[in-house]
Amino acid sequence: MAFLTLQLLFRRLVLAIPILLCVSALVFAILRLLPADPVGMSLPPGATAADYEKLKQAFGLDRPLFEQYLIWLGKLLSGDLGGSIFFRRPVNELIARALPATLELVSAGFALGVIIGGAGGLAMFAMRGGAGEHALDGATTIMMAIPEFLWAILLILFVGVSLQLLPFIGRLGPGIQLPPPVTGFLLVDSVLTGRWDSLRSALLHLILPATALAIGLAPLVMRVLRSSLLETVQDDYITQARLRGVSERRILLRHALPNAALPAISLIGVQGGFMFGGTVLVEMIFAYPGIGNLMVDAVRNHDLPVIQAVALVYCVLVLGINAVVDVAYMAVNPRLRLAGSR
Amino acid sequence: MSLSPRAKAAWRRCLTNPRVVTGGVIIGLMAVMAVLAPWLAPHDPQEQDLLATLLPPMWSAGGEGRFPFGTDTLGRCIASRLMYGARIALYVAVVAATGAMILGTLLAIVAAYFGGWVDWLISRAIEVWMAFPPVVLALILLVGLGAGVNKVILAIIVIDWTRFCRVIRSEALVVMVRDYIAAAKLAGFSHRQIMLKEMLPAVLPLVITMMSIEMGIAVIVEAIMSFVGLSVEPDVPAWGVMIADARQTMHQAPWGVVLPVGAIFLAVLAFNLLGDGLRRALDTRLVLGRAEAA
Repeated sequence: MAFLTLQLLFRRLVLAIPILLCVSALVFAILRLLPADPVGMSLPPGATAADYEKLKQAFGLDRPLFEQYLIWLGKLLSGDLGGSIFFRRPVNELIARALPATLELVSAGFALGVIIGGAGGLAMFAMRGGAGEHALDGATTIMMAIPEFLWAILLILFVGVSLQLLPFIGRLGPGIQLPPPVTGFLLVDSVLTGRWDSLRSALLHLILPATALAIGLAPLVMRVLRSSLLETVQDDYITQARLRGVSERRILLRHALPNAALPAISLIGVQGGFMFGGTVLVEMIFAYPGIGNLMVDAVRNHDLPVIQAVALVYCVLVLGINAVVDVAYMAVNPRLRLAGSR
Repeated sequence: MSLSPRAKAAWRRCLTNPRVVTGGVIIGLMAVMAVLAPWLAPHDPQEQDLLATLLPPMWSAGGEGRFPFGTDTLGRCIASRLMYGARIALYVAVVAATGAMILGTLLAIVAAYFGGWVDWLISRAIEVWMAFPPVVLALILLVGLGAGVNKVILAIIVIDWTRFCRVIRSEALVVMVRDYIAAAKLAGFSHRQIMLKEMLPAVLPLVITMMSIEMGIAVIVEAIMSFVGLSVEPDVPAWGVMIADARQTMHQAPWGVVLPVGAIFLAVLAFNLLGDGLRRALDTRLVLGRAEAA
């Protein structure tokens, strides 16, 4: 079973490779439409035409487009993402530093969104037909009509600025030293090195941005779970369980939920991919040093190597999470599991 | 143009659906405000009054009647800027959603009708597009195309055609196996006739529903892009620009942020309500990114 799941995951990841190649070519082509001149922008004032040519050659921008792409792709495959024009550092290094922050944020937002969505969906179902369901339904409508980045701003305004309950800038409070880097993940490193002060600060800093992301996911999970529960409880095995005298609570949690969760899981997969997109602005607004913030800085400074690399990282993350969720979906759905092994 | 009895009944269901009516009225009022902004707005949206900066709305202490919603850091009238901002938002919503709708629906019908390698190609393109978080693709496109409100519209079309194409393609595949399509083929209709006269009307309810939701998405994307400074010129009042400006002073003047956020909320809510109501009234099985099964 475990082996089969791994095999499925591997197959899904192999299928993602041609998509990733197309994605990389697309990103490369779009960015070459650029009217601005990154070489000119990164030259110091008073530079000569010879300096310009030299820099252009150094960046490889003097070759034909297709050749540039192949060179970039070749380097990419050997793990070299090039050098940032604006930050004047290897892109690898920038991403290695920012990616753990984003992964921490997305994991927190994802977990929070699934918890709120799952609990809300169950609550909506439990209160079906009553005023409670209408109230929750209204809440999902409101949650969905405000995009994540505006939730981020509203949360800062009300929870951060007015009530001053939670911090809303960066990953750590002022005066708190970073724990010694082990994995690059702040929370993990804090635990590993026993730095409870930085763990506390990092967790507090995560709450607001993670909530902003979770609000994007939760209402969708709520609605899908509610309606699939409504469908599931009409099935025969639920009636049978009821006739056997199983308690309503047990029927809901043990019998109906595992089956009704399937559409929600497949939804979470798609939306989990979108959540990475949400991090771009949420990170910028919370001055949270992840790849979204890096992307916005790079866009503002026309830093092509960074934009290209971060865009690809995003696509890898989306394709990765889609593959994982697809496989998880198969693993929890016995019908598909049997079909897959045949 | 005379409508068939079924179309008339569908119209009646739409017009009596409370969601459609609520959404429609809100959008209608916004559209009126946007069009009549030069006559309705109390001030020119760029007019600065440096003696009256960061005023609160007129109903709170210290507010002045001549600035109903207060003023921003440069003493510009927030109410007037919101009205002019509605112009940008609705312009982008209508043009971008129409563009994405036309491109997406056309490709969906072509893919379903011809099948084979055409369908294969279009489906693979959708897969590639879906690998991008939309915001990331929008940012890359705007870096490539340069900033500007029309570039934002182009970016939305280039990104969001897939939303239409995915959903409408599967609907069109269902339509393809209907008898009347086979009959049309036998009767010697041209490809174009079958696609436009037979298939398009069948998927139209779905297209209309998605169009409404897409307009809400377009409002959000424009707000995001003008918030990061990639949409309108800095001196044009767009809601995203207003939020970005007011963010600097939101501890003293929260209204500057809350009011444009409220405007975006209202617009998106109205488009969502309209779409949701249309979906129920027209009875379309709409699966939004596999999302809206509810």
